Amino acid sequence: MNDTVATDFSLTGKSALVVGAENPLGMIAAMTLTEAGADLVIASQQPGTGDALRELTRRLAPTGRKSVVQVQSAITRADLSASVDLTVKQLGGLDILVNALDYRSFAPADISDDNALDKIFDNTFRATWMACQEAGRIMRRRGGGVIVNVVSVLAERGVPNASLYCASQAAVLSLTRTLALEWAPDQVRVNALEFGWLESRGQRQAQFEETLRKYLPDHNLIKPEELAGALLYLVAPGARFMTGQSVVVDGGLLCHP
Amino acid sequence: MVLEKLSLKNKVALITGAGRGLGRAMALAMAGAGCTIAAVARTRSQLEETAAAVRQQGSSCMVIPADVTRSKEVNAMVEVAVAELGHIDILINNAGGGTQDYGKPLEEISDEMWQEGLALNLSSQFYCCRAVIPHLIAQQHGRIINIASGLGLRGGKQLFSYTCAKGAVIQLTRSLAVTYARYNIQSNCIVPGVFGEAAERFQGGKFVPMGRPGEYEEIGPLAIFLASDAAHHLNGAMLTIDGGALAGGATPTGSYPQLNESR
Repeated sequence: MNDTVATDFSLTGKSALVVGAENPLGMIAAMTLTEAGADLVIASQQPGTGDALRELTRRLAPTGRKSVVQVQSAITRADLSASVDLTVKQLGGLDILVNALDYRSFAPADISDDNALDKIFDNTFRATWMACQEAGRIMRRRGGGVIVNVVSVLAERGVPNASLYCASQAAVLSLTRTLALEWAPDQVRVNALEFGWLESRGQRQAQFEETLRKYLPDHNLIKPEELAGALLYLVAPGARFMTGQSVVVDGGLLCHP
Repeated sequence: MVLEKLSLKNKVALITGAGRGLGRAMALAMAGAGCTIAAVARTRSQLEETAAAVRQQGSSCMVIPADVTRSKEVNAMVEVAVAELGHIDILINNAGGGTQDYGKPLEEISDEMWQEGLALNLSSQFYCCRAVIPHLIAQQHGRIINIASGLGLRGGKQLFSYTCAKGAVIQLTRSLAVTYARYNIQSNCIVPGVFGEAAERFQGGKFVPMGRPGEYEEIGPLAIFLASDAAHHLNGAMLTIDGGALAGGATPTGSYPQLNESR
């Protein structure tokens, strides 16, 4: 690593909170931030994910950075506020928040029930909204910070049977813009990281993915680790003039007909 | 390690409009990340200044004076760069700017003025892509980074050829992305807001949500990232760096709306 890269992209001395650390996107966020030098709280609001998070801290250990696990029972104001407080208490501040809430459910719109609506919005938009509010207050008071909301490119596209999912992602993207405007005077930057079609880990989707590959400009689905560079750029000091925007990592999917 | 993927060691970038402003800033930042630079602009004296600064970063810099609105000069420029440096990995189409029609009412814009604007801000990028693409295909890898503008996404009062050309640059990028991804060539564009000297035309940048215009140097890390292996899966993307301007209704007319102002 040379000097320019070190100055612009190093996170040494930064304190970060990753919400949604139990899913592959959150895990990649945690690994990226620690590799670049940040200390972390990795939080999950999904009960039963403690083992996965403790396994993640073992994988982060070689970086020599501090990582604190927090598993909560639900997505509530108190839980998200507690994650923010824990970060400040354990790591001495909160410079970076990554919201990697990844919750999906798909069904035709005419038979989707209100329960599905509540569930998907609670686990995506509502959690992101509350985490941003809690972290934003502290960042503004401390004179700066960076928030990255991880969303699917379906925030910008419709897909049959994904009405609630697409809408939830669009809601997070929209929130990103307005928070950026409100908090720009206090040097709190808010951006989104949009991911394209992720490679699934199971065989169940194999045939669908094969078809998809033919359609994609570079014939590749995205591995979560391929989001690392864009995430690092967004949270790094070198991106200090970028806010209210999104960086799309989709291999060209969105610009394809 | 993600940080190591940001290194541009052993890579060659050809940057147009590299004599000053954003172009020079990208050249310097990328040189700092280990990249060899082929610096292109019309004015040799400015290029020599860029080259001296690049060499101070410990990287080498080739100076190629050329007018990128002339396709013959563009073709020659690419040939001489490849002959001298062996290969081009990254093309940054940065040359551009306001021309004679900038700020003029439509009826006062002559055919020549209109063509001049499109030539500088759109055709130049097309010519450079066309000249470089065979080399990128032959080596089965490459990056194209086109510099658009916030005015390529929004209209501007009495700004015609500039907004049209910059909007077209975004579309050029998308079609390049869709066409050449199969050769492992990624094409993306940077959409800068108000930077540096341009701030004079936009009330000092005070309408920008961050409260200031961008400094040229602030585009550097974005160029490094987009040129690097860390951006391998970005293709056809538009990366806007504007201090928040396009996220809202901020306009260069200064009418930035503040609903329910409470602070």
